[in-house]
Amino acid sequence: MRTLILNVIGRVICATLLLSLSALAAAQGRAVIEVATLGPQIGDPVPSFSLRDQHGQNQTLESIAGMNGTMLLFHRSADW
Amino acid sequence: MELQDRLEELNASGIGVAAISYDSPEVLAEFAQRRGITFALLADIDSTAITDFGILNTVAEEGLGPNGDDPEVVADVAKYVSMFGASNLIVGTPYPGTFMLDAGGRVSARFFEEFYRERNTTSNVMLKIGIGVSPVAAIEGSTAQLKFTAYPSNSSITVGTRFSVAVDVVPNTAMHVYAPGAETMGYKVIGLSFEPDELLRFEPVEFPESEIYHFKPLDEYVPVFQQPFTLLQEIVVDASETSEGIMSQMDTLTLSGTFQFQACDDAICYLPTSLPVSLTLDIDNPDRQRANSR
Repeated sequence: MRTLILNVIGRVICATLLLSLSALAAAQGRAVIEVATLGPQIGDPVPSFSLRDQHGQNQTLESIAGMNGTMLLFHRSADW
Repeated sequence: MELQDRLEELNASGIGVAAISYDSPEVLAEFAQRRGITFALLADIDSTAITDFGILNTVAEEGLGPNGDDPEVVADVAKYVSMFGASNLIVGTPYPGTFMLDAGGRVSARFFEEFYRERNTTSNVMLKIGIGVSPVAAIEGSTAQLKFTAYPSNSSITVGTRFSVAVDVVPNTAMHVYAPGAETMGYKVIGLSFEPDELLRFEPVEFPESEIYHFKPLDEYVPVFQQPFTLLQEIVVDASETSEGIMSQMDTLTLSGTFQFQACDDAICYLPTSLPVSLTLDIDNPDRQRANSR
């Protein structure tokens, strides 16, 4: 009898633990996206890059940059 | 294409320009030829630079993945990917925006939006970073106290355009007008306000830094503008499907507003003044033409 009771108590504890764990997992969810916080912020340097342009020529930040700075525009596509 | 239209001014200001996307050099060459683009279009074919910059749009892949039906993912897809659902085309694209870098290669300003259909115009960026743009479609006026020129950053707009109306103000000699903070002392702060429009969202007016003026007759220290300055009223054109439908039936959009101020010299204050300001902008349709090559 005692073994039975202990068994039942053991299973209830297990089930409760499992339920709590899955509730925790669900509660953590996805990170909220805030584009303003993504990527280099004001004052930060930017990653170096080496990409071909529309003429097939390789360009880097150094080759693009003007004397007073640079405008880097990231867009989705020129094609649609 | 607006950035191309502004290129000469940007280059004259010593700013180099490049646009980055996942398109191939061949697609970019076709686009450059079709639109007369002379600045560098960079082919980030594997989205390596986009990823290195930390702005890869990860929602696109999520929307097509096993969690695609999760309500949070669906909401983010509508905001960051497409109002019409997730698409393979968006995988590998960045959250679109502009980085301004200084001469040392460090970020001096950034312009990114939280809704994929909203976009800062190049002219708006130039106004906000202080390069300025030549007034086009401007209204000029003068009173006994000041001269002003009101103009839009862009004379044509479309769905999702983020642009500004600028007012360049030149107080006459010995005149000053009141800056934010002066209202606590009972003065009328200079301002620009427009009538509400269901298609437009008005951001708070941006003021430059003011100076403190000692008004001797009342021994008051008041924030004012005495030197020439510019007010910026940023406006966002709504990008919902409904608004797109409404705008497709319109050729122009008129902004009706008021420019108000109170001017004083070192002896007397003049009555607050309200002047009507009306600007009419052309409405463009977005360019949806595709290249033939891939």
